[in-house]
Amino acid sequence: MKFIDKKDFAGFVEELSADSDIFYPKVSGGTGDWAKWQKGDEFSLEGHRTVLPIKYFFYSPQENLVAKERRPLIIFGARGCDTRGLELLKKIYLDDPEDPYFRKDILIFTADCTSVHTDCFCGVLGAHPRAEKDFDLNFSAVSDGYMVEAGSEKGEKILQNNSDKLENASDAQKKERENMRASVEKTLNGQNKGLTLDLQRLAQNVGTRNSSFENQGKTCVSCSACTTVCPACFCFFLSEGTENKIRYTDSCQLPGYARVAGGGNPNKELISRFMHRFGCKFSWRPSMHNNLGCTGCGRCIPGCQGKINFKDVLIEVAKQ
Amino acid sequence: MTDPYKTIKAEVLKVTDETSNIKSFLLKPEKKFSFRTGQFVQFTVPGIGEAPFTPSSSHFEKDEIEITIMKAGRVTSRIHELKPKDIIGIRGPLGKGYPLEEFEGKEILILGGGVGMAPLRCLLLSLLEEKDKYGRILLLYGSKTPGDIVYAGQFADWKKRGAEIYRSVDRCDTGEWKEKKGVVTCLFEGLKLNPNNGVAVVCGPPIMMKFGTMKLLEVGYKPENIYLSMEKNMSCGIGKCGHCACGKYFACKDGPVFKYSVVKDIEGIWD
Repeated sequence: MKFIDKKDFAGFVEELSADSDIFYPKVSGGTGDWAKWQKGDEFSLEGHRTVLPIKYFFYSPQENLVAKERRPLIIFGARGCDTRGLELLKKIYLDDPEDPYFRKDILIFTADCTSVHTDCFCGVLGAHPRAEKDFDLNFSAVSDGYMVEAGSEKGEKILQNNSDKLENASDAQKKERENMRASVEKTLNGQNKGLTLDLQRLAQNVGTRNSSFENQGKTCVSCSACTTVCPACFCFFLSEGTENKIRYTDSCQLPGYARVAGGGNPNKELISRFMHRFGCKFSWRPSMHNNLGCTGCGRCIPGCQGKINFKDVLIEVAKQ
Repeated sequence: MTDPYKTIKAEVLKVTDETSNIKSFLLKPEKKFSFRTGQFVQFTVPGIGEAPFTPSSSHFEKDEIEITIMKAGRVTSRIHELKPKDIIGIRGPLGKGYPLEEFEGKEILILGGGVGMAPLRCLLLSLLEEKDKYGRILLLYGSKTPGDIVYAGQFADWKKRGAEIYRSVDRCDTGEWKEKKGVVTCLFEGLKLNPNNGVAVVCGPPIMMKFGTMKLLEVGYKPENIYLSMEKNMSCGIGKCGHCACGKYFACKDGPVFKYSVVKDIEGIWD
């Protein structure tokens, strides 16, 4: 376990920028959004998740499916919910036959959450507000700097190449990290009243029409904001260009999503589409990909035009 | 790495009018193209779009494939404008086909409706090619009117090659129909079947699939011996884009042929 002092962090980033594009969470007005690092930019890895997940670094919301020349990319400050969402996306996109346009050259530098958004509920799904795997480097904010841990060979190599800026983390720093993690977890569980959902029961219940779906879904306007901001939603539409195919992100919440030629549509009704998303996330993906399709990041909640609290829907449906 | 989204070019060799809104397109891919009966391909009209179809020609034919297409939407309308020598794209083969090895030694009942006969023609031709491997091969085919029958001139040949054929039309305004009248399930009347050592394969419009399946269950077929070709919106064809979700399955990758026992509890399968 290493430690990097805050005064050395800017130099560390600048050195990495020689070979790679770097994106980081730029915070303004309390919310973070991804920004491309420019010389002189300073940023912190403290805080919580950004508004948009990291998935759009791996495939664009709209892209020509042609080979592209690109510089390698490093994402600083991804959160545990980002990597858990990406885990499912990789299972879908990189499963045989592999999607050659899903980027595999991106390094992920995660950071422990040091605060929580009011809608975060990863703990309700049994997860923690930090990445436990699938990172190249993980940063944990402590006094005056970050503790840094490698999670891959590439990450290890970066630590080796920057050994002049790193020192071994002290026991006091390790203790501080433990305390910080416990404190954030306490805040998270506090805002969710210590609730943990029975995921097996939820998986059974999401397949059945019930009053919770009917009641909670009635303000849905099929805008697809929930799927757009979700780190684990993966759907796209393949369109035909003159020279190549074009991929657009798509959403199961849109009325035409499942429509076939001639007009048949299993998800014609709004309530079917509303339920589809829950079925996919809590029953079908766990069953077929051994992965939840929800990370508990709560991004869909402030994103919803119909003011639907998806966490409350889950809690209600799990109780049925 | 091969690109699963890339199409291979194919030349339209021949266009056959099957009915007023159904045409068959004989295609010559620029390289040999193998598929298993029941698998599908994405038919690409460059710059316009793609749509999924199961070839209707035998899977033993490697140089040319035939695809029968009903004009039903934006892409199929453009496909219907194609002429011989036009170049289109095909992508595939995609999905899992009919498990022919599970059919060996068994009586095979093929239940088709309308343009659903297209994939079933491929199955029938493939079965007839190796007829000795199977028991009785029965085709029960229903269409709206005599004018809506696809492959009208080919039934006699299939009969000659050993298939038992029963046909119905929903209605016939001209009075020139000597076979059965009624929806396709009326063909079961008086038919001796062996559901205990038989399989049934169904393809057609959703309403016909639903009542056809109910009829098969009624006459004794077990859900695991009924094979359905599920029509879903298929975009990528390789289990990534999500559109063809059929409960937990992706119809493009896990299907499009499913045993009824596998999909029977999925909401909206007949929609």
